[in-house]
Amino acid sequence: MTIYLLCFALFLVGLYGILTKRDLVKIILSLTIMGYSANLFFILFAYRSQALYPILSEGAEMAPMVDPLPQALVLTSIVIELGTTALLVALAVRLYQKYKTFDITKIRRLSG
Amino acid sequence: MNNNDTGMTLIVKTITRISVWIIILYGIYIVLHGHLTPGGGFGGGVIIALALLNVLLAYGRDFTADWLNPKFLHGLEAASVSAFLIMGILGILVGGAFLGNFISHGQLFHLVSAGTIPVLNIVIGIKVAMALFLVIWVLSALELKEGEEV
Repeated sequence: MTIYLLCFALFLVGLYGILTKRDLVKIILSLTIMGYSANLFFILFAYRSQALYPILSEGAEMAPMVDPLPQALVLTSIVIELGTTALLVALAVRLYQKYKTFDITKIRRLSG
Repeated sequence: MNNNDTGMTLIVKTITRISVWIIILYGIYIVLHGHLTPGGGFGGGVIIALALLNVLLAYGRDFTADWLNPKFLHGLEAASVSAFLIMGILGILVGGAFLGNFISHGQLFHLVSAGTIPVLNIVIGIKVAMALFLVIWVLSALELKEGEEV
């Protein structure tokens, strides 16, 4: 139980960063931290103590395995996070080209 | 950021020249053993993409453009998607379902085994490596010029 709460604390670290930071790069980093905490929660949920990774290997006898389904889900989640992060970074670079700053309080104009 | 095209110092370049091949070899190992050990197409592809990123960081854009030819890499990425689709449709025609197996299973725990899974792992490895590297390549083309705050 404690470990899930620590995972939630990591999520809150990301949320704190998104809500309080003004730098666009720090906001993107906080967003990825939130995503990583969600992934970590899935992996912790699948964990069984004294269990092996869910792959059959030569000479090994049958043993308890961790749940492979959340691992597959997390692999997909990592790919999607990669795509969103690339998009966010590209948008941040475009904003920097336009406004010459990453500070979101100074990005006010809509056009021109 | 104007000296971005010239790359880093001689020390970094020399070490990169050696280490890139080792990293690429490790990535190929992970891709080829995807059906036997943890890892597979995605993990190995990421490792190969990071090796290419090392070259981009150490040598700069111009050298990397000469060495790797990003247009060819883009074609390779698109071709790998087509290869995956062709494997899937061959599975419908021969194996009975999308991505169905139509190659002999081989012997368990051998390198050449598990039917079409190693082939698909290689295809996914190429796709992931090229896609990841090209994302960074496109992002590195955007210029960040320092200027006055508006």
